[in-house]
Amino acid sequence: MADSPEEIKKSVRKILWIGGILAVCTVLTVWLSTVELATHGQNIVVGMILATIKAALVALIFMHLNHEAKLIYKFLAFTLVFVTALFLLFYWSSLDPLVFKDFYAH
Amino acid sequence: MDIPYTVTARPDTGLYNAKVGIWLFLASEVMLFGGLFSSYIFLRVGADYPWPVHELGVTLGFVNTLVLIGSSVTVLLAWASLKLRKIAQFRLYMIITVLCALTFMVIKSFEYRAKFAHYSVTLTDGTILTGHLPHGYELEFGDVKALNLTVAGKTSAVDADPVSYVLPYVKGDVPKFMTESGEEITLDAASFAKIKAEARAKAEAKAEADGLKEVPQWTVKLLPASPITFSVAPSKLLAKPVPGAKAISFRDGTTVEGVMLNDKMILEVDGVDLRGTPDKEKSLAWNEHYLGTAWKKAFIEQRDHATTEFKEKYGDSRDPNKSATQQKHLFYLHIKSATPEASHGEGGHKAEAHAPAEHGDAHASHHPEVQLERKDVHFFSNYTPKLNSFYAIYFTLTGLHGLHVVAGALVLAYFVIFNGRMLREDPERLANRVEVGGLFWHFVDLVWIFLFPLLYLL
Repeated sequence: MADSPEEIKKSVRKILWIGGILAVCTVLTVWLSTVELATHGQNIVVGMILATIKAALVALIFMHLNHEAKLIYKFLAFTLVFVTALFLLFYWSSLDPLVFKDFYAH
Repeated sequence: MDIPYTVTARPDTGLYNAKVGIWLFLASEVMLFGGLFSSYIFLRVGADYPWPVHELGVTLGFVNTLVLIGSSVTVLLAWASLKLRKIAQFRLYMIITVLCALTFMVIKSFEYRAKFAHYSVTLTDGTILTGHLPHGYELEFGDVKALNLTVAGKTSAVDADPVSYVLPYVKGDVPKFMTESGEEITLDAASFAKIKAEARAKAEAKAEADGLKEVPQWTVKLLPASPITFSVAPSKLLAKPVPGAKAISFRDGTTVEGVMLNDKMILEVDGVDLRGTPDKEKSLAWNEHYLGTAWKKAFIEQRDHATTEFKEKYGDSRDPNKSATQQKHLFYLHIKSATPEASHGEGGHKAEAHAPAEHGDAHASHHPEVQLERKDVHFFSNYTPKLNSFYAIYFTLTGLHGLHVVAGALVLAYFVIFNGRMLREDPERLANRVEVGGLFWHFVDLVWIFLFPLLYLL
């Protein structure tokens, strides 16, 4: 966390830069959504990668996660486990025999 | 009582207490939105209809994204200004942040309003017509033969209340009725209270005579003393009546026997979506009494044009069946004028793959008006959560996010309006408060960073 006046002044410049980069990334996201990739799934992947980069910038720079106390990383690691499980639900559900693609094959 | 560690860090955590608190709260928020994003994936993958792509107004979403990014920057600048004791700048940046929140919500409200006024009608062959209902949609039910009022027994949940649920939809003068005993009455609160009391007494007498444990419900029949016609929106009925229905039921359980005089829906069409229609050239939409062959011709021209354009652009390297946007170019006809000829004048058949027009009534007359017969309508709804799972998750996610925007803005406004004394006496503590409020604000921005592409672009 920037605490001395010099560090704070320096961080202001960084904040403005990051704000600009986020705006440019937003324009890029909109433009890329109009470009036809081989499948729409690829458009989604590219869009989500860009969104993740933007989110990482906000989290690391704006929310100071690039230099935080250890305790906060512990909280977030714990959260990450459960959020990952939430997103894996989709994969796990595909293992359900009722939706398993060969279930009705025989 | 002094709250400890509001300014200095607690030795064991290395953080001031509020920061520990906000991060724990944000962790729970990650779980909340994580659950909803996970639901989004399930709904999208499991959707049995073309998932809307580029259907929401991208411009509004784009502007809102920039507004939120801007506000994230200004809240940080406010914190930095306070740390440097530049009080006027601190106040200015905080006010700009709150104004950004207000702008975001105003834009959102315009977006919601357009959705509520816009309708989607699915025809029985799967064709979807989108547009506006210039006169609303009301059924006309007349030649009324009887009103059957069901007075509840003691345990029944639905109890007749025709004064509130039925009479407001009578066209013309207040009607008169004949009771079963031949008395002519004007149905109002007083006369109905009397009818209800008599019905209850009869029901209780029957329960006693038959040795019933519960008082049964009692039906009272009223006959019209003069012709009555109802004009009522389907949402005011217990269920949407089937075509040619001989009776309708109001939400208080009152059944009216009569004849359906008019159940046609007048729709100003601004789009025809044929992606769910098996035989697109034989769609009900092209019936002469609906859009007719001229619009069918316009659709075929647009489809052929889009096919050629796609082939010229991508050759065989892209499969049009795997392109959601190309499917929309091919099978979604965006209607911008009253006739196809006028449409050509406005730029021809160049593929109109945009969202259904989101506009107010000012442009309403620029679209063809069709009278849809009830028998051809499978389902209709305005663009609200009941339309489909996309709009259900859209309103849930953006609504919840909007609530966070409002809550964050209120907290930040509180700091700048009511923390004047803290600003003078303990600015470092206020700086920490602003930092904590800012962390929440960045989280709100972070959620939107994912919402915007998922809902508006992809």
